[in-house]
Amino acid sequence: MVHVQHLFKQYKNTEQPSVDDLSFSFEKGTIVGLLGPNGAGKTTTISILCGLIRAYGGDVNVLGMNLKSNTEELKYKIGVVPQQIALYPELSCKENLIYYGKLYSLSGKVLTEKIHTLLQQFGLLEHADKQIKHFSGGMKRRANIIASLLNDPMLLILDEPTAGVDVQSRSMILSFLRSYNEQGHSIIYTSHLLDEAEALCHEVLIIDKGKKIIQGTPNAIIKENDTPNLEALFLKLTGNNVRD
Amino acid sequence: MQRIIATYIKEWHLMRRDLGGLALLFLMPIILIIIMALVQDAPFKDYKVHTFDAIFVNEDGGKVAASIRQGLLESKQFQLIETYNQTPIDFLTTQKLIQKGSYQFAIVVPNGISAEVVNSANVIANEMGRQMGLTASLPHRESREGMSVQLMFDPVCKPAFRLAITNVVEKFITKIQSDIVLERIAKLSQRTDTDTGTFDIQKQLQSVGVKEISSHEKKLMVSKMNSVQHTVPAWAIFGMFFMIIIISDSIISERLGGSWTRLKLIPGAFSDILIGKMLFYVLLGIIQFYLMLLVGIFMMPWFGLPSMQLGHSPFLLCIMVTCLSCCATTFGILVGSLFKTSNQALPVAAISVVILSAVGGVWVPVEVLPDSLRAVSLISPMRWGLQGINNLLLRECSWNDIVKPCAVLLSGTMFTLFLSWVIEKKRMDQ
Repeated sequence: MVHVQHLFKQYKNTEQPSVDDLSFSFEKGTIVGLLGPNGAGKTTTISILCGLIRAYGGDVNVLGMNLKSNTEELKYKIGVVPQQIALYPELSCKENLIYYGKLYSLSGKVLTEKIHTLLQQFGLLEHADKQIKHFSGGMKRRANIIASLLNDPMLLILDEPTAGVDVQSRSMILSFLRSYNEQGHSIIYTSHLLDEAEALCHEVLIIDKGKKIIQGTPNAIIKENDTPNLEALFLKLTGNNVRD
Repeated sequence: MQRIIATYIKEWHLMRRDLGGLALLFLMPIILIIIMALVQDAPFKDYKVHTFDAIFVNEDGGKVAASIRQGLLESKQFQLIETYNQTPIDFLTTQKLIQKGSYQFAIVVPNGISAEVVNSANVIANEMGRQMGLTASLPHRESREGMSVQLMFDPVCKPAFRLAITNVVEKFITKIQSDIVLERIAKLSQRTDTDTGTFDIQKQLQSVGVKEISSHEKKLMVSKMNSVQHTVPAWAIFGMFFMIIIISDSIISERLGGSWTRLKLIPGAFSDILIGKMLFYVLLGIIQFYLMLLVGIFMMPWFGLPSMQLGHSPFLLCIMVTCLSCCATTFGILVGSLFKTSNQALPVAAISVVILSAVGGVWVPVEVLPDSLRAVSLISPMRWGLQGINNLLLRECSWNDIVKPCAVLLSGTMFTLFLSWVIEKKRMDQ
C-alpha cells in the first residue's frame, strides 16, 4: 500500500534535515498513526506522500505506483486533510464543497448527492448554507474533512484532524474514520493525542528528528518496551525535553 | 472548462462579499477620477478665463506705465491692487505682501521706463526714416542698460504659473512698445509731410496670427484637449492597477489559510484554477475601466467639466484595455507569489502602483520626465497602456498604432506569470 525507503528532505537554510533516511511501509486497509514531538518531521513526511513538496532523496510507492513518476495520478486516489482549515471562510460550507467537488471534475446530481450524504454524516446538513467563518472550531474541522473526501480517496491522510475540537466533534470524527476504514480505505493520521492514537490506530510509527524510532501495533510496542501505555512509551523514546 | 468556471464563480462569491475590496476597486477610483479631473482642469483651461489679483506698482508715472495698466485692466484677467491701507502701494510694501503670500505676484513699473521706451522708439523710427530717405529725425539718447518691467512672485508659485504670467505681461509690453514705435514713425512722417493715406499699419501687423489646428484629418483632436479627456483614462489605468492589492491579498490569504495547499493537491487543476482566477480579475479590470469611462461621460458634466468623448474604435479600445487588465492581473499574481504575508505585500503593491504611475505618465507626461526616468518608464505597464489608450482616444489612431503597446503589455503578462511560476516552483522545491 505505502512503501517509503530512505526518504530524505532538508529545507533550505536549515541545519538539520526534516526527514532523514526514513523508511516504513504498511498494507492496505490499515490505520497508521504517524506520531512524534513538534518538529519531528510528521507534516513534511505527509506533504511528501501527497506530492505537495519534493523529497531530495529516497523512494516512495503508494498504491502500487511510484510517487515521482505518477504524482498527478496518485493525487486522484489520495485525500489530504491539512492541519489548517483549508476552506474559504467567506464562502458557505456548501459553496466550498461545490467548488472543490467541481475541481475534482464532479458535477450535477452526483456532486449534490455526495455533498448531501457527507454533510449528513458529519452533522452539518442544517449548516450547509452558513459561511465557514461563522462555524465553531469543531464544525470547521468536520467541514475540512468532508472537503477531502469528495474524491472518495483510497488513502486518507489527516494532519491532526481533532486538534482543538470538542469531545462530541472528536467522537464523531473518530467514529467516521473507523467506519471509513471498515469500507477498505487506508488512513494515515498524525496527532499529539496519544490515547486517541492508541485507541484508533492499527499501527503506529513514531519518528523524531526525521528518523524512525519505532513502528508496530500499539499493543505490541507497548508490551515490548514494558510501558503502561503509548504516552509513556512515547516519552521513553523521545525524552522529556520540551520541543519548540 | 468546468474548473475554470467553478473558480470564476468562487472568485465572484468572494468578491461580492468583500465590501472593502469592492470599494477599493470601484468607489475609490471614481472619487479619484472626479477629484483629479477637477484639480487638473485649471491647467488645461486658457488663462483668459481666470482673473488674478495682481499688485501694480507704478513708479514710472509715465505713458508706458499708464498703457500697461490700461491694457491689464482691459484684458479683464487682472484685478489690479494699487493701494494698501488707502495709500499708494510702494516697492517695499509689495515685497512684504508677496513674501507673506497675501498676493501671488506683483508687476512693478520702475521709474524711467516710459522715457526709455520712447527713446527706443525714436531710435527705431529714426533708423527706419533714414532707410526710407527721410531727412527729419526725433530726439534720442544712448539706451540705458537693465531697464525692465519687474515681476515679483510668491515663492510658492509654480514655474508654469510664473511662465504663463510672464508671457501675458510680455505680450502687453510688446504691444505697447510696437504702438509707440508706430506712433513715433507716424510723427516722423508728418514732420516730412509724407502722405500715409488710409494705410492701417496696426491692422497689417495683426494680419498673421497663431491658431491651433487639428493634426488629424478628421479634425477631431483640438476639441478634445480638455482635462477629462486626459485625466479619466490615465487615472482609470491607475485605479485598474490597484487591483494588484486585491489579487495579491487573495493569493496570500489562500496560501496562509490553507486553501492554496488543497488546490495544489487536486490533480491537474492548478492551471485551470489560475486561468479561472485570471479570467475573473481581467474581466473585473475591464469592467472597472469602462465604468470609469462612463463616469467621464455622464458624471463629469455634473461637476462643470466637459463630457468624455470616446474614440472611433471601441473594439480596439476593448483590446487595449484587455491587454492592460491582463498585465495588472498577472502583476498582482506575482506580488502574491513573491511575498509571504499581506503585511509585506500590500505596502509594496500600493507603492509600486504609485511609482509605476509616476514614471508611466499618469501624473505628468512622460515627455517632461528626466532622461533617466524616461528610460525607467519603459518598464511601466501604465506607460504603454496610456500610450495605447491615448492613441485611440486622443489621436484617433488605428490598429497599427496599438500593436506595440499591446505586445509590450502581453509580454509583461507572460513575464510576470513566468516569474510567479518560478517562485511557486521554488517554494515547492524548498
